[in-house]
Amino acid sequence: MTRSLVAVVDDDESVRESLPDLLRELGFVVHAFSSAEEFLASEFLDNTECLILDVAMPGMSGPALQQELRRRRRRIPIVFITAHVDENICTQVLEAGAVACLLKPFTETALLDAVMKGLRNP
Amino acid sequence: METSLASVVDELSQLRDQLDKEVTERKRAEAALLESERESRLIVDRIPGLVATLTPAGEVEGVNNQVLEYCGRTLEELKQWGTSDTVHPEDLPRVIEVITQSMASGDPHEIEERIRRFDGVYRWFQVRGLPLRDSNGRIVRWYVLLTDIDARKRAEAQLAGEKRLLEMVASSCPLTEVLTALCKFVEVISADCHCGVYLIDWSGPRFRNGAVPSLPATFNDPIDGLPVRREIGPCGQAALFKRQVIVTDLETDPLWQESAIRPLALAHGIRSHWSTPIYARDGRVLGTFAIFHREPASPTQIQQDLIAQVTHIASIAIERASSEAALKRSEAFLAEAQHLSRVGSFAWRVATNEITWSEQLYRIFEFDPQVTVTLDLIGTRVHPEDLTLLHEMIDRARSAASDFEYEHRLLMPDGSVKHLHLIAHGTKTESGEVEYIGATQEVTQRRLAEEALDKARSELAHVTRVMSLGALTASIAHEVNQPLSGIITNASTCLRMLDADPPNVDGARETAKRTIRDGNRASDVVTRLRALFSKKELTLESLDLNEAAREVIALCSSELQRNRVVLQSELADDLPPVKGDRVQLQQVILNLLRNASDAMVAVDDRPRQLMIRTERDPGDRVRLTVKDVGEGLDSHTVDKLFEAFYTTKPSGMGIGLSVSRSIIESHHGRIWAEPNDGPGATFAFAIPYAVERTV
Repeated sequence: MTRSLVAVVDDDESVRESLPDLLRELGFVVHAFSSAEEFLASEFLDNTECLILDVAMPGMSGPALQQELRRRRRRIPIVFITAHVDENICTQVLEAGAVACLLKPFTETALLDAVMKGLRNP
Repeated sequence: METSLASVVDELSQLRDQLDKEVTERKRAEAALLESERESRLIVDRIPGLVATLTPAGEVEGVNNQVLEYCGRTLEELKQWGTSDTVHPEDLPRVIEVITQSMASGDPHEIEERIRRFDGVYRWFQVRGLPLRDSNGRIVRWYVLLTDIDARKRAEAQLAGEKRLLEMVASSCPLTEVLTALCKFVEVISADCHCGVYLIDWSGPRFRNGAVPSLPATFNDPIDGLPVRREIGPCGQAALFKRQVIVTDLETDPLWQESAIRPLALAHGIRSHWSTPIYARDGRVLGTFAIFHREPASPTQIQQDLIAQVTHIASIAIERASSEAALKRSEAFLAEAQHLSRVGSFAWRVATNEITWSEQLYRIFEFDPQVTVTLDLIGTRVHPEDLTLLHEMIDRARSAASDFEYEHRLLMPDGSVKHLHLIAHGTKTESGEVEYIGATQEVTQRRLAEEALDKARSELAHVTRVMSLGALTASIAHEVNQPLSGIITNASTCLRMLDADPPNVDGARETAKRTIRDGNRASDVVTRLRALFSKKELTLESLDLNEAAREVIALCSSELQRNRVVLQSELADDLPPVKGDRVQLQQVILNLLRNASDAMVAVDDRPRQLMIRTERDPGDRVRLTVKDVGEGLDSHTVDKLFEAFYTTKPSGMGIGLSVSRSIIESHHGRIWAEPNDGPGATFAFAIPYAVERTV
């Protein structure tokens, strides 16, 4: 079984440092991007199997990227992560088809469950 | 025989001589008597007065020429006076009675009676009868002198009539009654006429029938409401040109052929029409006074005097009636205005405690308008919690004649509460007595609305605070969650790397370092937050703490009064200026006053006394103390009071005192609280004066 490609999009550098390392430890191939625009422009857009996406970012926000992917008919499972305690956002993105919405800080288990769920139901 | 015959003849002759002599004597005497009677007759006839003689039985014996001429009757006719109309029928019974009595007793008599003149006019006479007695004292004859007193009688009657009319005016008889009496009076005094008073409504202008008592509606009704124009008739012209108009004969006078009143008057048999304007004191024409005659007539001087007199009385009556109506109207307006605006007015003479209330004030207090208002009586309605306020107000009002303004409540017998707003203006009379005139408005509705508004406003403020706190919490959470998230992720990675076979020690070390970094980052966030809340620039200036306190008192006095807090201030005169931030220190004072006021919300059994005091404190400090009589402090919680987010108030945020403390501490001062010996608590702060500070 080839290792699944997971992309992380977050403007926070510490997240881009720590989260990919953990995911790699969990056995995934990880690419990190600092913005939605950067991800959309990357060569990995087509083979990303699960997207871990921050909600609030400068420029295009997480939910906006979700809309954009949908518009481009890219059915990539998305796991949202957010430091904001705002359940409305979570409800909104889940209704728009997100796999999960994790509130920072989240546990390793919660992260793994969400990613695995996304990979099972593309 | 012859001798005897001769002697008889002689005797007879003597007798005849004697008889002749006697006859001659008697004839002479009779002639003398006739002469004397003729003379006395002449004298009587020439007396410039009316004289009659009566027999002792009271029958007319003779009258002088003047009587015959005046009465136009013969002596024989006059002898029948007791059954004729010579004496006015109204007077006749009284005259007969008096004369009968006088004849019986022999005492002189004196009567005032009306006697018919040849032309049928009765005139008043004073009739005096004196008896003539012979040497034996028997009454031989009565002499009767009749004196014409008609002018005097008329003047007396006129005076009495005028007096009666003026009395009617003075006793506020309805105008129509007065004017009717006035017309009737003139009709009596000046016989054979009809009188009318026509009022003028200048807004038309139109005539209004004031009173025309002796003419029928068929004459009066068409006149009522006629426009005041010259072509209407004499009244129109009299009113417009302000002069008397005398029309001797309406039928023939060429001037009035076209007048509106002519056909109407002629149809009612009226020939002459005199109209005189009735003037107000300021010269306006109030109406006209009209006299109508059924024969052509022009006024005599006596009639002119009478007209002048009655138009004057009519003017007084009309002016008085209209000023009374105006007064009543303005009183009614005032009462209505007071009722509508729920404002009552009062006067209070302090020395005698005499209190006068308007009708509306009785209504507000729900007192019977008959009762006498006293301060004690007012006290029975004033809300028990406001009695102290009332007494304070009374004491203050007694001491100086200054204006005052207060809000207080009434507790009505049914348990409802009314809010009153009272404004009074004090004046000193010449004798130095203090008198207040004021108005009291019931502001219950307004106060309830204000209270509702205040409640809404404070709820809104609370919601705003909670919302901004929510936003703040979210922002703090975001700032803190970010590094926390990194810490957890790194720690998880670190553990995985150490658990790997072989353990990835380098990777673990790297992630552990990152954990430390994120931990520091979280700590930085907290530091930044603290800096955000605590670090404020102070604007330092030299300021008078008393002045700052007075401004705050002025700012919140209405709020305190509304909470029925009685504020006492004792601000020291010798307070040195302090250097500090005026606005921040005022925030502290305001916070202490509000807390004190809030602490007394539930106090109903004692006056809500609040004391603010400033003084020098040992150690070059200035101290400000706020003392209340509220719930007081729990000795266990005194220490926590100044901690952030600690509150004893159900709606409080618990930040007021902590902010106050940080402000006072930034002024190098100290703030503290302690329970009172009695009820309530005392809060105080002390800050140094004349001290350089670095910020």
